[in-house]
Amino acid sequence: MAVIAATLIALSSLALTARADISEEAVRLLQERCASCHGEVVMSGLDVRSSDALLKGGKRGPSVVPGDAAASLLYQAVLHEGDLQMPMQGGRLSEEEVRLLGAWIDAGAVWSAGLAADSGERWWSFRPVRRPAVPEDSSGWSRNAIDRFVARRLAENQLEPGGEADRRTWIRRATYDLHGLPPSPDEVRAFIEDSSPDAFENAIDRLLDSKRYGERWGRYWLDVVRYADTGGFETDIYFPDAWRYRDYVIKSFNDDKPFDQFVREQVAADEIWPDDIELRGSYDIPEEKLRHLEARIGTGLYTVGTVYHEAALNGHQLRYEWLVDAVDVTGEAFLGLTVSCARCHDHKFDPISQADYHRLMAFFEGSEIRRIPVAHKMTEFGYYSGYPRQLKVFEYQQALKALDGKVRQRMIDEISAGFDADTVAAQRVPRAKRTTAQLIAAAPLERALTEAGLLENPGGYVPELPYTPDERDRRKTLITELGEAAAEARFDLATATVLGRAEVRYPVRMTARGDWRATGDEVAPAFPGAVGDLGHAIDGKRRKLLAHWLADPQHPLVARVMVNRIWQGHFGRGLVETPNNFGRQGSAPSHPELLDWLAAEFVARGWSVKRMHKTIMLSSAYRLSSEFDPTNAAADPGNRYLWRMNRRRLAAENLRDAVLAVSGELNLKMGGRPVLPPLSAEARLGMWDRNDWPESLDPAEHKRRSVYVFAKRQFPYPMFKTFDAPDASASCGRRDVTTVAPQALTLLNSEFMLRSAQSFATRLDVESDPRRKAELAWELALARPPDPQEREAAVKMLARAGPEEFGLMLFNVNEFVYVD
Amino acid sequence: MDSTHSIAPASRRQFLERAGLGFGGLAASCLLAKDAMAARSNPLAAKDAPLPAKAKSVIFLFMHGGPSHLDTFDRKPLLQEYDGQPVPESFRTRDFQFTKMDKVPLLGTPRSFARYGEAGLEISDLFANVASHADDLAVIRSCHHDGFTHITGQNWMNTGWAQVGRPSLGSWIVYGLGSENENLPAYVVMLDGGIKSGSPAYGSGYLPAMYQGTVLRSEGPPILNIRRAAGADPEKQRLLLENLNWFNRRHMQDRAEDSELAARMNAYELAFRMQASAPEVADVSGESAATRALYGLEDDTTRPFGKQCLLARRMVERGVRFVQLYSGCGANGGSPGWDGHNQIDYNHETMAAQVDRPIAGLLTDLKARGLLDETLVIWGGDFGRTPFTDGAEGGARNNAGRDHNPYGFTVWMAGGGVRGGQVIGATDEIGLNAVDDKVHVHDLHATILTLLGLDHEDLTYRFQGRDFRLTDVGGQNNLAARLTAG
Repeated sequence: MAVIAATLIALSSLALTARADISEEAVRLLQERCASCHGEVVMSGLDVRSSDALLKGGKRGPSVVPGDAAASLLYQAVLHEGDLQMPMQGGRLSEEEVRLLGAWIDAGAVWSAGLAADSGERWWSFRPVRRPAVPEDSSGWSRNAIDRFVARRLAENQLEPGGEADRRTWIRRATYDLHGLPPSPDEVRAFIEDSSPDAFENAIDRLLDSKRYGERWGRYWLDVVRYADTGGFETDIYFPDAWRYRDYVIKSFNDDKPFDQFVREQVAADEIWPDDIELRGSYDIPEEKLRHLEARIGTGLYTVGTVYHEAALNGHQLRYEWLVDAVDVTGEAFLGLTVSCARCHDHKFDPISQADYHRLMAFFEGSEIRRIPVAHKMTEFGYYSGYPRQLKVFEYQQALKALDGKVRQRMIDEISAGFDADTVAAQRVPRAKRTTAQLIAAAPLERALTEAGLLENPGGYVPELPYTPDERDRRKTLITELGEAAAEARFDLATATVLGRAEVRYPVRMTARGDWRATGDEVAPAFPGAVGDLGHAIDGKRRKLLAHWLADPQHPLVARVMVNRIWQGHFGRGLVETPNNFGRQGSAPSHPELLDWLAAEFVARGWSVKRMHKTIMLSSAYRLSSEFDPTNAAADPGNRYLWRMNRRRLAAENLRDAVLAVSGELNLKMGGRPVLPPLSAEARLGMWDRNDWPESLDPAEHKRRSVYVFAKRQFPYPMFKTFDAPDASASCGRRDVTTVAPQALTLLNSEFMLRSAQSFATRLDVESDPRRKAELAWELALARPPDPQEREAAVKMLARAGPEEFGLMLFNVNEFVYVD
Repeated sequence: MDSTHSIAPASRRQFLERAGLGFGGLAASCLLAKDAMAARSNPLAAKDAPLPAKAKSVIFLFMHGGPSHLDTFDRKPLLQEYDGQPVPESFRTRDFQFTKMDKVPLLGTPRSFARYGEAGLEISDLFANVASHADDLAVIRSCHHDGFTHITGQNWMNTGWAQVGRPSLGSWIVYGLGSENENLPAYVVMLDGGIKSGSPAYGSGYLPAMYQGTVLRSEGPPILNIRRAAGADPEKQRLLLENLNWFNRRHMQDRAEDSELAARMNAYELAFRMQASAPEVADVSGESAATRALYGLEDDTTRPFGKQCLLARRMVERGVRFVQLYSGCGANGGSPGWDGHNQIDYNHETMAAQVDRPIAGLLTDLKARGLLDETLVIWGGDFGRTPFTDGAEGGARNNAGRDHNPYGFTVWMAGGGVRGGQVIGATDEIGLNAVDDKVHVHDLHATILTLLGLDHEDLTYRFQGRDFRLTDVGGQNNLAARLTAG
């Protein structure tokens, strides 16, 4: 690890010397490297989590002498020169870190106010949100309150906000942010030509009103709630109606459903609105009931996690794993707390004890996953029309079997021809009926047939049958026909999978180290002590209580966590950089007051997510250009204080959607069953059962938006995986962005890209003049015209390599894949 | 490419020049100038091991489905003696996927064992060829975990955790040591078929995706999308890359500070080089007839796995850090592999016949080329198998199968500084539980990391606010010192 550490030092030394606030760094370092033993646990009586405690020190006396590092025990310990050598675990501090602590102590060991609370006080994120006064900004830069907070932090750190992005850049940024798609040339033109003072506001309204918005922001939420269409593990069971939850999420964002209501619905719609939603037999369903039904689909959140579903597993274990998943996702999605450690032991850093964890679990105790009908009688399976369709499927299956049987028999005959008549005759006798003599006689042929894979094959060798070209064609046709017949014959009852009241209740018990074989005391539901009950008595239906507690305007975490997610969606990074961890191990907010102001504003404005987008997007901060500035960068290389916009790479789904949109192929049909785009045989390699990706029959489906693509836990769509889509094993608050060669190979060589490049070329055919072709291509892909040199290069390439190669090239340029 | 034995060209510049393609311009004008920066910001750059390393690379031979230790490397005379008897009461404490221990009889092995090498290791006739390398093998007979289904077993062995979502061993190693070859992926998995635990078994979990394993096929185009299915016109492709580079450079002019954009251009360059080097590594036509025979390429039974073994040698020779080969995936998926729930003797005879010669050939070849000292070869699977018959088949003796057994099984290691001819640990009298010198998967992983010069306690990654490591809180029984002593 020394080498890695050395590299990190090399990288961070730049950053550190210029870091605005040394005390923040020092306190963070103490927290990261020392607090696991000298915090909650208080080894040797030392607690490093507050200034007072540090000055008081532990058994060896005060650990810090402000102003004198050399005399400070803490510094001596991290130097590794005396007999006290710290930290004990995780390797010694880097030289740079040691220097940092020394410098900090020498400078008086001033405790960073923004970071850690004194031990008596609650951690910042657990304290109630207080709407801060909006600071003044006399510079004229600020457009709204957000900017005044940002401007103050910039000024405090001797930074200057950079210039504004031009309108083309802004509309491309805004369209990708809200739709996950590129703006059309018309949209760009209209915006640029809009000279009204409301041009920006109108553009934002237009984008928010479009259904594309819910598809983009629904996808964010689906990351957070670890959505997938299958359960993972060996069986990877298919959730046939999980898509209803996915559609519910998209619709909720499009409807601008108040976020508190969105929370309540997902946690406990069935308990809050306990309607009888038995729809069979009723032909006239009151609208209110339909609304409640939709709300209940929200509880699908707790039905789309991983399912450890394998043969011979204990039902109690399955149930325990489900409860664990429910608590973990609730913690990360709503509370922004990574609570999973507390399954097995008290949380080392956050005030969530193992008991708290199990108390949260108890909220889900009386619940279970249910499948409910969402259609009424008229839409159910029609016996008379359905039966012949089933027969049709059967006929095709038989025909396919007969065809394969014929070919296999031909192979058997060919092999048999090499043996004498007695052997063949003996082998023809069914194995169980053979005499000993026949068994012996049949053996050589039996062996040959086994090796050819024509008999039992324990090695799993299944031969590629030698079809004639005619047979191959016939077989292909049969398979297509079978697929179509099977789709026709599908008579499934429309259902949704939701939470309901459990028929049999098993009490939640304390467990030893998270082992499901629980033997401890029964646990009653209770809210984590660190947040408190906010006046909600533990009484009545359990999830309903949890839902109301979470959606309480006084809740310190829920609104903060959500506005931070929204901010991250616009700036590439949250004010808290760890969106799923607002605890002590998460990062501190870069703009604590702004975060609180946003949270307060969010609640005050009816928890409207769309309003929040608009407020953020109307700010000067959101208009910043991504242009580099060496002076600012020297002081704040990570752009923590927002002196410019962060450049961002398109997320996996947006990249695919953008390629489809630019090539003119995107199918905007919304909702419904997951779609399965084609996968090459090559791409199927590594799938446990290569038939587990039944390509959608209608080719138009292949071009639908990525949010509708089948999310198979055991085999994520390869392009998404290559471009860092999460694996849905747990909540993902922020995706990695990696840059690796397989991404280049995907964009250069995959069948999807080549097909799209062809369509793009066809789309460009409307222009015959190559210069116009180049211009159109630029407008479509990059939302700007080419400059003369670029146009010249494009024309040259069009002539020499053709429009397909040219289109493919444009899909690969950095400018296409990044948003400024 | 020229001769198959030419290792990757010494420098990127040289390669680009030799390839004679448009990227030369790109390299000269932009990328090479940024080499220093790229090297600093390239997390896959080779790193020195923090501790003295015995091995530089790993070949992990994974017997998919779970090979029986009792019929291969762990002879149990008492089991033989009590063949057909009920399982003694004192052993009946374990859960299995299909079997209730009070319902089934003990099952001796039909194989014959002999002593091999100077050390006299006992190995069954299923691995008669591997046995000739007995003095290179360190057989660890006391391995254990608690995942008795394939997914949990494969997850344990590969990621040190039963559930999905943790980084795999290969990812950790590449995270710790980087890559020695800039033209090939550092972590390669060969599975001509599918594995039950799917891609998470070679996934990077919470580590960045760049550390995940890349699937390399032994037939056909070796890497997904390495070339166009329909074939590409090289001249057109050259034009594409040349233009791509030109436009990217213009785009970079105002964005020179952004190392991510530069990294993306580097990734294209690597992709381009992989288009040449991956087919080169996969092309064994230049290997001598003797070498091909050594790996059993001339025999239909041994050819598929033999080809994988040969490719593994070619890859470690070129500096690939971690190669994992799977036996028993089945060309069309759905194969039971080594999962001998019934007729285990027939199953294992079939499977061993596919791998025994190739593995022996691999060891011979690595040794002859002086690569065995720095290449750690590991043999194992999901778990071992039960000393009694399989309950799912009613426990009937005429089925003579064995259920999964994660409580005691064998893994062996060779090369990478490991002293051969030794046995570590033991299972109980019937081979059910590891009892003597128990080696948990965490201990195995700690051992492997140590042999590579990595400290399993220091190799951590911050995730969800915690420093995670491959070995969780385990790894105390680190065998590295004992394996390499003497």
